[in-house]
Order: sequence, then C-alpha cells, then structure tokens
Amino acid sequence: MKRIMIDAAKCDGCKSCTIACMQAHRETEGTVYDLDLTDVRNESRNHIELAEDGGYRPIFCRHCDAPECVMSCMSGALTKDPETGHVRYDREKCGSCFMCVMNCPYGVLKPDTATRSYVVKCDFCLAHGEEPSCVKACPKEAIYVEEVS
Amino acid sequence: MKYVIIGAGAAGISAAAAIRSLSPDGEILVISEDTMVHSRCMLHKYLSHERDAAGIRFIPEDFFETNGIQWMAGKKVAHVWPKTSKIQMEDDTVISFDRLLIATGADSFIPPVGDFRTASNVFGLRHLSDAQKIDQMAEGAENILIVGSGLVGMDAAYALLERGKQVTVVEMADRILPLQLDETAGAPYKKLFEQAGCRFILGKSASQTVSDASGKITKVILSDGTEIPCDLVIVAAGVRAAVSCVQDSGIKAERFLEVNEYLETSVPGIYGAGDVAGLSGIWPNAMKQGQTAAYNMCGQPMKYLDRYAMKNTMNFYGLVTLSLGRGEAREGDLVLVREDEKSYKRAILRDGKLDSILLQGEMDYSGIYQYMIKNQVDLSGKEERIFDLTFADFYDIWPDGQYDWKVPI
Repeated sequence: MKRIMIDAAKCDGCKSCTIACMQAHRETEGTVYDLDLTDVRNESRNHIELAEDGGYRPIFCRHCDAPECVMSCMSGALTKDPETGHVRYDREKCGSCFMCVMNCPYGVLKPDTATRSYVVKCDFCLAHGEEPSCVKACPKEAIYVEEVS
Repeated sequence: MKYVIIGAGAAGISAAAAIRSLSPDGEILVISEDTMVHSRCMLHKYLSHERDAAGIRFIPEDFFETNGIQWMAGKKVAHVWPKTSKIQMEDDTVISFDRLLIATGADSFIPPVGDFRTASNVFGLRHLSDAQKIDQMAEGAENILIVGSGLVGMDAAYALLERGKQVTVVEMADRILPLQLDETAGAPYKKLFEQAGCRFILGKSASQTVSDASGKITKVILSDGTEIPCDLVIVAAGVRAAVSCVQDSGIKAERFLEVNEYLETSVPGIYGAGDVAGLSGIWPNAMKQGQTAAYNMCGQPMKYLDRYAMKNTMNFYGLVTLSLGRGEAREGDLVLVREDEKSYKRAILRDGKLDSILLQGEMDYSGIYQYMIKNQVDLSGKEERIFDLTFADFYDIWPDGQYDWKVPI
C-alpha cells in the first residue's frame, strides 16, 4: 500500500501541509488565497505539534495495518480497503459516536468542530488524484508517498 | 473444516470475516436470532426515525455472499452438545461443527418490579426486534417512562423525544449517566434533554406497578410513593449474558461463558467472544475478541490482551464527552480540572500514571489517553501538562511509516 512517510527531522513547522489539507477539503469553491483560515468548517486532517525539544512532529493518519479506528466503528463507516490498504470513511454511514477518536492511539482524529457530526479523517486526497495535497505542498520533503508492504 | 458461529453482532461478524481471510476454503455458518444484522449502538437512530433498519447495518448488504458465508437468520440455538460436536436448534434441527464460536451477546435485564416481567408494554432496548416493538407501540403512546439513565436509557430518551413524546426518566442515583459522568459533566446533558422536553426524576427507583385488565402497565409507583402514569415503559437496567444454550452442556458458564486467554471455553474447539464472555461490554473490544477467537479457531494461537473496558464516548445534541476510567479519586491522587466556556476536563493521576480522564465539549486528538491508561505510561514530570500532552510527547515511527509510542522505560 501507499503511505505518507514522515521524516520529522526535516519538518520546519511551516504548516503548508495543514493549509493544503484545509484547501483540499473546503466545501466552497476557490483558491488557497481566498481560503478562510478562521472558518472552523475548513478543518485540516493533519496537524503539526511543537515538541518539548523544540522540534516539530507531523501528526498524519497512518492508515494503519491494524487500524484501531476501524475496530471501534459501530456503524461500518470506517473500513480498511483491502485493495489500496487505506482506511476509508463514509460520512453518510457515520453514527457520530466518536469511539474512533477515543481508540486512535496516536491522537490523529477529532470530531468536526462546527457540527460534531463527523470525524475529521485523512482520505488520501482520493478526490484530487495524484499525490495527496499535503505532500505536494511540503517544501522540505518531510512528507512523501512511498509504497510499503 | 466447518466453522459455526452463533450470533451476528460485533463479535460474531468480525469472527466470520477473519475466519474467511484466514481460511479461504473453510465452511462458515453464522446463526442468529436477529433477522437483520444491525449495530446495537445505533438503535436510537432507528427508533428516532433518522434511519431505517438497513441504515443501521454495519456491514455491506452483500457481506455474506461476497465472503461465501452461510447465514441462518431468525433461528435460535437451544443447546450445544460438545461431546458429539453438534448444536440443536429450537426447532430440533441438528447441525454439526468442527469449531464453534458462541457470540450470543446479552439480553436486557428486566428487574422483578411489579409486573415489569409480564406486562405487554415493557421493553428493554438491546436488539432491533426490541426497537421495532417499541417503535410500534410508541406510535400511540403519550407518556413514556424510561427506567435507568445509563447510555441505553438516554439513547431511548433521545429517540423518543425526537418523536415528540412525553418522556420521563427515573434514575436511582442522584445524577444522570452516573457510571460515565460526574455531577459537573452530567449537568449540561440534563439541561439539553430538559430543553428537548425530558423530565428527570433522580434519586428514586420504581417499586410497584398498576396494570389494567389487558395486562398493560398504566402507572409505575416510585420508592417515595410518587405515581407516574405511563403507557409504555422502557427498562434500561443493564444486561445479562445470553448463556442459555450452554446450560447443562458441560461447558463452564455461570453469569458469563468462561473463556481462557485464547477465548476458548472449558471445552476444546468451542470458543466465546463478545458480551457473552463478559470480558467487556463495548464495541471495539467485542470486534477484537471476535477476530482473536477466529485466529485461534483457525489454528493460529493468539492471546486476547486488550481487556481495558472502562471507556466510553457519547454525543447528545452535539455535546461530546470522552470518559475513561472510574473517575473516583483516592487519597493521595492528583486531581486536575480545567474548565472554560466550551469544555470541562478532569483527570485523576495516581503514582505518576493516568487513572481516569473525562473530557467534555472538546475531545480533539484524545485517543492518546486510552493508551496511557491501558499501558500505565509513566507520566512523571508531565502530570501538570496532562490536558496539553499530545502524541508529539511520545512520538516514534517505524521504518514502514507506522507510528509507535516511545515511553521511558
């Protein structure tokens, strides 16, 4: 499967990936230059944390081999795609219980801020084709896509 | 090899799927009383008419066909015969097995209060069939009484309020959701439900009933003598493991089906998973138990290790809460509270480790806390930062790109 690999040492915390993700998942039309960064409906699926040592830690969905979020999903909205290996999310099916948020050991997931009705989750930018938007936006090559077994 | 699974809930279905992936040619038969596979945690969405029965199915419609699994729906197993490796159905049909998984789940516990157990208008809310019966009777009902304000009781209350019914909830404890929430965290939910029209009677229990000639309860009398007129009663007072099929079978079971760490019962080749085994009453654990049992049934030994079950999330009217642990502070514990206009957070730390945490209103990225509690991660020196900790504090990555926890040894 394809995974977004992370070289945290290369990350300089610029958050280009975060803005690219917000832009890719906005509900309105437009370019990144008119993207309202303060609108909670434009939420990023990834985030970067500043660590105590002063370094940056990109927190991105790993589409885990044994995804705890899928195990916790009581509606069937989260599934591991047997072909691509990606963890898919069907917002229509979701029961908004947020057990997946509780069960992700890496603190990647969150309920959406505006409505608390769906989980904010990486979709590998399938709707946008090619590379995920975050990867395209990273100026440091701290994130890149690689085929992993 | 013939695999038979009794039950089509989380444990039974996850076992069936796992067996199919491990044994492409094995014969798999799932037997269930349920006539539709459904998520028990979504029954309130059915009862509120937000979704139909198909809308609360947690597997694809063609799950059984795609996976080459036989499904016998609407059938109850009356008895398991371990010596001959056979099960007997209620209609006396006999089915043989090589490996058996008992994942029969649990049924609502109806306490012996007045006519609760015999009246025709008293229901638990556990199976789709319960929800369907409630749904039907709720059409003409005006006053609905819900006994118990745990998650099932509140789910039922939510659904019936959405239908515009008069709902009264009676709770023995002095607050709602007493197992999951403290007083402070319960209060906003109480208010939200009251705004939706719900009436709460706290600190009292149902003690007697008055029935009419047709066998319907018309009034429930509480411990203090208060009379509550009602035409429908929903009892949310917990569940009991569905162990009837193993009675007198020689398979060890008392309140629960007894299983070892490989989820095997006292009889080799017969396994148990989910609520019937009593290891945990929560969805993610039932799914994992089903999967673990499947590995063992297919000859790949795997221990079931994830026993942490004091966990829950809830979301009513858009107010979200995560609750982990018992939430009871002991002497010497460090109790940290943070409140603002949007959220309430409370953590209990014991000997430098997280014991319990409650996050209400804001639970972004909170999956790390279950890991901390389950693995008793040493948080010495980080205690005061408990609400600000993130995975960045424990960050490690495997060569294949997956995350791992780096914790001080």
